[in-house]
Amino acid sequence: MSHEYVPEIATDREGNEYEVQGWQGDFYAGKLGFWLFMLTEVMMFGAMFLALAYYNTLHPQDFLDASASLNRVLGGTNTVILLISALTMGLGFLKMRTGDVKGAKLMIWATILLAIIFLVIKGFEWRAEYNHGIFLLHDQLLPESSLPFGQKLFFGLYFTMTGLHGVHIIIGIGLMLWLLQRINADKVTPEHHIFHLNIALYWDIVHLIWVFVFPYYYMIGAGGATGGH
Amino acid sequence: MDTKTINYQEERKVYYKVLVALLILTAITFIQPHLFMTGSTFLAQMLIAVVKAYLIVMYYMHLKGEKLIIPMVWFAMSLVTVFFIIVIGIDVANFQFGAESHITAAAEHSAGAVHTTPASTHH
Repeated sequence: MSHEYVPEIATDREGNEYEVQGWQGDFYAGKLGFWLFMLTEVMMFGAMFLALAYYNTLHPQDFLDASASLNRVLGGTNTVILLISALTMGLGFLKMRTGDVKGAKLMIWATILLAIIFLVIKGFEWRAEYNHGIFLLHDQLLPESSLPFGQKLFFGLYFTMTGLHGVHIIIGIGLMLWLLQRINADKVTPEHHIFHLNIALYWDIVHLIWVFVFPYYYMIGAGGATGGH
Repeated sequence: MDTKTINYQEERKVYYKVLVALLILTAITFIQPHLFMTGSTFLAQMLIAVVKAYLIVMYYMHLKGEKLIIPMVWFAMSLVTVFFIIVIGIDVANFQFGAESHITAAAEHSAGAVHTTPASTHH
């Protein structure tokens, strides 16, 4: 099955049709623009890491204790899932570039499936924490609870950052579904694949953020005398 | 990125090699607190993360060989570093409202009480 690129068409009031000259036809600008967008993502999460690091210096022991109480098995499983999803996304893009559109679509579906599994595991993890009284504006994180203040800061940032990361995963699933629709409509083809590249880059930045989120939250208290679950 | 010059097998091999490297680094992440640099787990974990990030950016995000994008990324990263680390660092180092801040005031209180609330009570 051939995949001839179908250009975007704009129609004026008289019914004349024009081919839209957009980012699909300007590979380098499309890529550069997306890298700039990714830098804004780095700045957003970077600001959160900065806050995390600052509070860590104020409450080092509380942070180690809180980190030790997180479920490293679930966090580690999600790390491996994201790692494999980055591979499937990359291979999908490679297949698209080499003309294997069907294989590319299969790889995108595999990535979507892995992203859903990631969210389900995250959901179980959050539910377990909620059941232990640890959740935003709930039980132990309320100002009047006896949980050390540093741990409240740690868990507050933990839910904020992993939550924001989860939102990025959900957006990523939406983008991949959109990409599949664009491929089916022959708007993304082996010759016009900048949209696919940018969504693959988006998925990589989501993975990249997790590469730092995971050790900072789950692992810093792993070797402490306090132990963990 | 020219579709005509792609060596599929070669590029796929790179993807799998990077995957194996990332899996090994993830395994090291888990054993590090019990194996090496046990006194500075935070530093060790962040170093491993930086190596993983390097592999992802260079090979999965194809920054390796991007002659035009790399300088732009370095320039933007340097700007971010200057503002995030140096400017904010100076500001935080000269923080004038410690006594009025809920967080820093609590930190001073917590630091004084750290020995009276042993970590072993937390599971």
